[in-house]
Amino acid sequence: MSAGGSGAAAEAIPQNNIIAFGVLGGLIGIYGAYFLVGMVGQYMSFIGALGAICGMVWGAAAVRRVASYGLGTGVPSIGMLALGMGVIAATFGLAVGGIAGPVIALVTAAIIGLMIGVLANKVLSMGIPIMEVSMTEIATAGTITIIGLAIAMTGTFDFPVVLSQVISTGYIAVIFIAGGLAILHPFNACLGPDETQDRTLMVGVEKGAIAMIVSGIVATTNPNASGALTILIGIALWYVAFSGFYDRTKRDAYDVVGAGMLPSKEELE
Amino acid sequence: MEPLTGMGVLALMGAAATIAGASEDLESDVGSQSNPNSQVQLAPQMMYPHRIYNKAVSGEPPSNALMCAIGGTTASVLMTTGASAALALAIGAIVAAAIHGTYSVTSYLGRSASQKRFKQPIYLDIIRSHTPVIMGYSFITTFCILVVSYLMVAVLAHPFPLPLLAFIWGITVGAIGSSTGDVHYGAEREFQAVEFGSGLNAANSGNIVRKAESGLRNGIDNSWFCAKFGGPVTGLAFGMTVFLSGWVTAVFDPSRGDAIGWVSVLAGVIIVLILILWNRNMEVAARAAFGTYKEDEAEAEVAA
Repeated sequence: MSAGGSGAAAEAIPQNNIIAFGVLGGLIGIYGAYFLVGMVGQYMSFIGALGAICGMVWGAAAVRRVASYGLGTGVPSIGMLALGMGVIAATFGLAVGGIAGPVIALVTAAIIGLMIGVLANKVLSMGIPIMEVSMTEIATAGTITIIGLAIAMTGTFDFPVVLSQVISTGYIAVIFIAGGLAILHPFNACLGPDETQDRTLMVGVEKGAIAMIVSGIVATTNPNASGALTILIGIALWYVAFSGFYDRTKRDAYDVVGAGMLPSKEELE
Repeated sequence: MEPLTGMGVLALMGAAATIAGASEDLESDVGSQSNPNSQVQLAPQMMYPHRIYNKAVSGEPPSNALMCAIGGTTASVLMTTGASAALALAIGAIVAAAIHGTYSVTSYLGRSASQKRFKQPIYLDIIRSHTPVIMGYSFITTFCILVVSYLMVAVLAHPFPLPLLAFIWGITVGAIGSSTGDVHYGAEREFQAVEFGSGLNAANSGNIVRKAESGLRNGIDNSWFCAKFGGPVTGLAFGMTVFLSGWVTAVFDPSRGDAIGWVSVLAGVIIVLILILWNRNMEVAARAAFGTYKEDEAEAEVAA
C-alpha cells in the first residue's frame, strides 16, 4: 500500500541503492562530461544530461517514499521545493567552488534539505518519520539535476559561463521546470493504491529523457556543447523508457482494452 | 515609444491572452486536470469506474509553466539562429504540445493502472481520441503565451529573457485557469445529477456523472460543456489581467517622470478597488436572487 495511505512504500529496489545510483551516477556524469569535453571534444557534453537523469530518478524515488505518507496534493509542491533548494545550492557551489563546485553544491544542498526537513517535522509538526532524510535526498537530487542539465547545455560548470549562458539567457527556467516535473511527475502520475516502484521510476527515466532533449535543443546555440548527439540519445532513451513504462502498465493494470463499456455490476463485486 | 503604439501592442497582447486563457481551461477540462481531478480519481474507489481522461500533470500552474518554458526556450534558440519570430514561436509551441502529450499519456496510464483493485480499465481509444485534442489546445495556449512574451521582449523592451517571461506567464495562465474555469466543470458538470447549488454532500463523493447525452461520458463531452461558459470566462479573466496590468503603465508611463509613475500606481489601486466592489455587488445580487439553500423534505426528516 502506498499512495493515499499513511505508511512506508513497498520497495523492490532498496532506497540506499537508489541513493548510491543518484549520487555516484550524478557526480560521474557531471565530472565525466566536464573532463571529456576538454579532452575528447564538445560532443561528450551529453554525459552531463545522463548524470542529471540519475539525479532525477533518485529524486523521483525520494518523492515517492516521502509522499507515500499521505502527502496527496503536496506532491507537486515538494518537487518545486526540490529544485528551489537545488538552484540556491547549485549557484552557491559553482560560484565559490571552482573545480570542486559540484561537490560543494551537493553538500550545501544536503545541509539546506536537512534544515527544511527538521523545520517541517519540528516546527510545522508534520510528523513524517523520514522527512529529514527525504528532504536531504530531494535537495541533493535537485542540485545534481540542475548542474547536470547546465553542463549538457554549455559543456562546462565554470560559473561565469553558466551565469552568462544559462542564467542570464533565461534557460534556467526550463531547467527548473523540466527538472522539477521529472522529479515530481512520476509519483504524481502513478498515484494510487496499486502503484509499483519500477513503473514509477520508469516514468522518471522517461521524463528525464525529455529534459535531456530540451537541454540538447539549448546546446545547439553553444559552441562548447553538442546539441545533435544529446537530442538523438535523449530520443532513443525516451523511446526505451516509454516502452518499458507501457509494458509495466499492461502488467499492472486491471485491464487494457482498445474500447469498451464500463465493468458490469457483477464484475465489480 | 509612441503611446499609441504602446496601446496597440497592449491590445494585441490582451487578445492573445484571452485566447490563451480560454484554450488553457478547455485543455485542462478534456483531461480533468486540477480541481475536477480529485473526484475523477476518487470515483473508481467508490465503485464508479468511468471513461474520463485522468490527466494529473501536477496541477495547472506547473504544467502550463512547463509547456510555455519549453516553447519559449525552443523559440529563443531558433531566433538566435536567425529564424523569423512567427516561425520560431510556432515551432516552439509544437515542441511544447508534443511534450505535453507525453505527460498526459503517462498520467492517464499511470493513474488508471494504479487503480487495479477498483477494477478501473485502461481504454486505449480514450488515449487516441483525447490526447490529440489536449495537444491541440496546449499548442494554442503556448503559442498565445509566447506571442504575449515576445511582444513584451521585442516591443515593450522588458528586461527579462523570453524563456523566463514565458515561464512566468505560464504559471499565471495556469493559476487563473485553475481558479476561474475549473469550478464550472468540477462543481457543476461532474454533479449535474444533484440539485443546482446544493454543494457536495459527502455521500455523493466520487459519484460523478458517467453517462452522457448519448453513450458514456468522456473528457471531450466535458470540454464541449465548458466551452459554453468556463473556457470563455477564463479567457476574459486572463485577458483582463494582462490588459489592465499593462494598461496603467502604458497610459501613465513611469519613464516620463516619478510623478506619472505614482499616478500609474494609483490607477492600479483604483482598478483593484473597482473590481472588489463589483465582485461584492455580484455576490450580494446572486444571494438576493437565489436565496440560501433549502433542505428538501427527505433530508429534513432524516435530520429530525
